[in-house]
Amino acid sequence: MSQIALDIRGLAKQFGPKVAVNNVNLQVPTGSFYGLVGPNGAGKTTMLSMATGLLRPDSGQALVNGLDIWAQPQEAKATLGVLADGVRQFDRLTGRQLVSYSGLLRGMDRAEVAQRTEDLLRVMDLSNDGDKLVVDYSAGMTKKISLATAMIHSPKLLVLDEPFEAVDPVSAANIRDILNDYVAYGGTVIVSSHVMDLVQRMCTHVAVIAGGVLKAQGSVDDVRGGMSLEDRFVDLVGGRGNNEGLSWLRTSSN
Amino acid sequence: MVAHILKLKLRLLGNGFKRSIGQLIGVIIGGVYALGMITMLTIFAVVSAGETTIASEISIITGSLAVLGWAIIPPLLTGVDLTLEPSRFVHFGIPQKILGPALVLSGFISVPAILTIIGLIGASLIWRLEVAILPVAVLAALATAVMAILVCQYLTIMSTALRAKRRFRELTFALLFLVLICFGPIISSVASAAQSMMDWLAPLTNVLSYTPLGAAAALPGALASGNYAKFAICLVLAIVYLGGLYFLVNKATAEATVTPPPEQRAAKQSGLGFFKFVPASPTGAVAARALTYWFKDPRYAIGVLLVPVLPLIFWFSGNQSGDYTMMFLTGPIIGILLGFSISADISYDNTAFALHILTGVHGKADRAGRAAACFTLSIIPVLLAAILPGAISGQSWRIAGDLGLSLAALLIALGVASLASARYTYAVPLPGDNPMKTPPGNGVRVALTQLGTVGSMAVLLIPVLIPYVIGWIQNSAALGLVTLAVGLILGMTLLVVGIIVGGKWYEKRAPELMQAVMLNK
Repeated sequence: MSQIALDIRGLAKQFGPKVAVNNVNLQVPTGSFYGLVGPNGAGKTTMLSMATGLLRPDSGQALVNGLDIWAQPQEAKATLGVLADGVRQFDRLTGRQLVSYSGLLRGMDRAEVAQRTEDLLRVMDLSNDGDKLVVDYSAGMTKKISLATAMIHSPKLLVLDEPFEAVDPVSAANIRDILNDYVAYGGTVIVSSHVMDLVQRMCTHVAVIAGGVLKAQGSVDDVRGGMSLEDRFVDLVGGRGNNEGLSWLRTSSN
Repeated sequence: MVAHILKLKLRLLGNGFKRSIGQLIGVIIGGVYALGMITMLTIFAVVSAGETTIASEISIITGSLAVLGWAIIPPLLTGVDLTLEPSRFVHFGIPQKILGPALVLSGFISVPAILTIIGLIGASLIWRLEVAILPVAVLAALATAVMAILVCQYLTIMSTALRAKRRFRELTFALLFLVLICFGPIISSVASAAQSMMDWLAPLTNVLSYTPLGAAAALPGALASGNYAKFAICLVLAIVYLGGLYFLVNKATAEATVTPPPEQRAAKQSGLGFFKFVPASPTGAVAARALTYWFKDPRYAIGVLLVPVLPLIFWFSGNQSGDYTMMFLTGPIIGILLGFSISADISYDNTAFALHILTGVHGKADRAGRAAACFTLSIIPVLLAAILPGAISGQSWRIAGDLGLSLAALLIALGVASLASARYTYAVPLPGDNPMKTPPGNGVRVALTQLGTVGSMAVLLIPVLIPYVIGWIQNSAALGLVTLAVGLILGMTLLVVGIIVGGKWYEKRAPELMQAVMLNK
């Protein structure tokens, strides 16, 4: 058993003149709850896409539980669950069908798929909506059903891109409980997020990425070094405005 | 403000060309072709000026065809550029007095609209010898072009409001169906009346000149023949039609800007549907998913629209000419059409295709599942189309041959499509979009891909065609059996090859396919 659940070695990607991810090295220890933070357009999604087999890197490697995702895709993906950001689902299926589909595609047997689908729908609070088409789901419900499709095969590593976006607080708390449980029993979770507060409370480790470059990585306490994660993040990333911006937006000035 | 919206439309048009070189080339080729047609029309008009006695009829027919074309083709068939549909302006609070005219005017900023205007003005040169009438003719041509574009805009807005309603879609299909079925009789009656052309041309144009189709186009003719009463009536009618249409378009825009788009309610489905009936394997799951989409996703329905229509068209044309040969070819044609329909499968998935990549499903399973779903749905229509013509016409000797060619066509088409769709994706309407909408970026590349796909299907069919054709000529049941055997063996082999090789390509190129569907190209 590898001690590094996700080993990113020198991943790089360039879109035309724009370097989206610049030679990133990142080690995610097994059993950690890893937060990936960065401003908009920092390259988080691009990096995670390359680490999960969705986007071919220009150079570099990504090892999932010791298996190179680009050299042994099928074996690596069997231990990996992914919630990708900004992709559709097969939304003409019902929630129940979609989760089952994800299980069957991975070659699981029918009885197990059926059992786990019901369990997942229950913990995601979607039992009553399992027969609705996913196209009719709200954004938060779609997020939750996508999370269920990523978890049905009980992967060792979960890569979740913006899992809490548009999810209501109650569901978010439920999902956090599930993920905490999962980590407590030896699973590894990577979440990307903008919400520093959440990452500081929830994660054991954190990596900061900006402009396609990794600025810091390590345990949350090491990275924030006594400051709040948010302040440290702003320190690392920079770019705070000087608060003189939009004087005309102050309604009292009229 | 009006200028802003017009500029926006111009910018959209320009950026559309920038998106891909392929599209630009497509537009240029299409444009050159259309310009060629317009030049021909204009030359014809210039040459025949003063030479023909039916100039007014020609004007009316040209104008009516233009309006009719705009009324039918964009809203129903090809879809329209909806980048400036009124419901997009819901959030801006632009006064209706400005938005209405702006959107109407922006309808004129498009390549087809400009070509229509040029073409109609070119056609009006048929009056070039009569100095007094030519200005009227040019104005009438402009009015006809405006009428065409207004009709198109009105119908488009109406159909946009209605498109969420499944009933409307079905109604559209039914209408198209009727038109197609009536085509045979119309053409044959037209043909039989060709000797006495004036007999039907005069009453037809006379009627048209009082309808929105030809009212404006009838003006120069009426003036030239000195029929001032008719000129006055048509003038009033043209003004009323134009004004009325403008009013309607304006009203529809106003309504569309304050009515949020209707929500599309999809039916519930209890249980697992097709997933219950397929083997619990990745291939089975893909097949069940694809089958569900064939029933739930209207984009798939468009692809198979021709299947029931085709035999009807062939039957009608046979009815007219007394030669039913085409009926016997319904089976193979339907086989190719249905098999070909999965060649856009991954494009239709759009980014939902990510699930297939993330689960690491084998390429073979993906290909085989999609082909199996299509085969399950196609086999009954193909069998019927292959057996029934021979059985009904009492030529039982030919059934085996028809069956062989039809099955080979279906299997080979599935094999080629399994291969092609692992390599080539193209721009399709997005999931949930109007299936009739033409997506941007469809250019020469798509046409070439589809041509190549269908072409290679035809070439691969040759070994089956040889015994089939000889058997047909000799009325030989034995050769029919040979066709059946060759067809089945070749078809199965090529399907398996298509799935295996397509699966390999798929696995090699899955991330590139993902990038392509993200851009929908």
